[in-house]
Amino acid sequence: MMATMRINIGPIHPSTHGVLRFVADVDGDTIKRTETHVGFLHRGVEKLIENRMYMQSPSFMEKMDYIAPLSWDDLYVNTIEKAMGVNVKETAKYARVILLEFQRVASHLLWLGTFCNDLGQMFTSFMWSFRERDRIIKLLQDVSGGRMFYVNIRITGLNRKLPDDFKDRAYSLADYIEERILAYPDVLDSNPIFMERTKGIGVISKDNAIKYGVSGPVLRASGVGYDVRKANPYYIYEKVKFNVPTETAGDAYARYRIRYYEMLESIKIIRQALDAMPEDNDVVGMPIRLIYPQPNPTPIMNNAELPRGEGIIYMVPDKTRPYRIYLRSGTYTNIAILDKITENIKYADFFAIMGSLDLVASDIDK
Amino acid sequence: MDINTSVVRIDDSVPYSEDMFKNAEKEMTEITSRSLKKAGLNQNVLFTKLSDISKITTKGIRSWGREQSVWPLQFGLACCAMELMAFGSPRIDAERKGYLLFRATPRQCDVMIVAGWVTKSIAPRVKRLYEQMSEPRYVIAFGECATSGGPWYESYNIMQGIDQILPVDVYAIGCPPRPENLFAALIKLQKKIKGDINGDSERNASENIRRAEI
Repeated sequence: MMATMRINIGPIHPSTHGVLRFVADVDGDTIKRTETHVGFLHRGVEKLIENRMYMQSPSFMEKMDYIAPLSWDDLYVNTIEKAMGVNVKETAKYARVILLEFQRVASHLLWLGTFCNDLGQMFTSFMWSFRERDRIIKLLQDVSGGRMFYVNIRITGLNRKLPDDFKDRAYSLADYIEERILAYPDVLDSNPIFMERTKGIGVISKDNAIKYGVSGPVLRASGVGYDVRKANPYYIYEKVKFNVPTETAGDAYARYRIRYYEMLESIKIIRQALDAMPEDNDVVGMPIRLIYPQPNPTPIMNNAELPRGEGIIYMVPDKTRPYRIYLRSGTYTNIAILDKITENIKYADFFAIMGSLDLVASDIDK
Repeated sequence: MDINTSVVRIDDSVPYSEDMFKNAEKEMTEITSRSLKKAGLNQNVLFTKLSDISKITTKGIRSWGREQSVWPLQFGLACCAMELMAFGSPRIDAERKGYLLFRATPRQCDVMIVAGWVTKSIAPRVKRLYEQMSEPRYVIAFGECATSGGPWYESYNIMQGIDQILPVDVYAIGCPPRPENLFAALIKLQKKIKGDINGDSERNASENIRRAEI
């Protein structure tokens, strides 16, 4: 019986996707148990929001999950809309869904590139996925003005009008991405190394997935078909037809398949939304200076399907600013199961498992 | 040793200096003159040329070599790291200027790009990474948070700028800066390494002042 050795992974490590720290007890090449340490990026965002007026905070929300900034931004503004009791403009609903789904595709693409980098498949998938992601970012930039942080959602609408050629560009971009994505299995699913390193690795059973409260693609990879867009539809999600892909294996490969199919489903949603979107381009929301909300004093809770899991905002509104706000991100619950699924694994598999959970340190630490 | 409480100090008794190279130059000329005597060759012609060459090499080739192969540390803290990744992606393609040798270990790197906000708990680690890099080393503060605290200016857990703990050579402004901006910052750093903007001595002096303040 060898003595176990305790080693640190992180907080600064090329594969930790941000600043996470793990303490692993290893016996030879086998990890006996790991301990997760979070909080290296904690900045007190909830407290900061409580000290700002409502529409000063979207830029904080975008830094929650910086790989898909628009999603938290939208969820936050939608929570204020619900607190104020105002309706989103009809065209803006479509526009938001299109932008959000493009954002989801961009987020999953970035995940795919970095995940394959972690597996040692240096740079082919990274280069491919970043090539597609940059096209999406170019469109979002032309819509909103920012390359990475858009701050584009305003109450009842968007910040500015959509460009005149938005529809044409969105259609052609969706075509382009679908064509490219369909080529991915050629380098991934037919690659024996990729399959060996993901199949049967980091299995989360259905019971454990429910017990630990994981969400998003990780939950659906374990056989639970829960998606907020279906379960509690917001915007136009009940009008469009799309499937919620589920897998039963619960391993890293299943999580890759889920994200892969989600990208295709997102493109389906984008196409339907573009078809049904009214032509009036009436999407501009309220100017910030006119917002003096008189919200209901009752606490409000809002959820949405973010690329990394279910995002929930619990807010106690006040006249000019939130009295109390609580943010629950999908990654924070997803990382809780990491200790469980990294018992008695090979050391090299640790990064495959961690990568497949799609963690973002900023989203965990708030 | 607990990583939270202790910070490794650099041994200041062995500073990086020009004298080291002057001594090397002397030794080099002595050795060559000795070997020339043994061979019975005319010393004077070669001797003058050698000293000329060494004058050029000590300053010129050194800074030229440093300038042309800037190896950044692969190290991302927060959102700006996404733009750091885009910096290496096909559209920007940093490799064409020789920047893309991102190394995961600080010991082989020349420049540290601090991309993201620095919390109080990560600051000692960042400082330790910097101290593990071999000299000469350079720091780029990438983005608003690393420059001045950015949007977190009221946060209780964020350092208001990385220059509180490290000597910064170039600031790249933006939230986040575009990858092109990082290009501009690195070109500026190259100029600085070449000696067009600030001399080494000036930089070392400011570094010593900062270190004394901590």
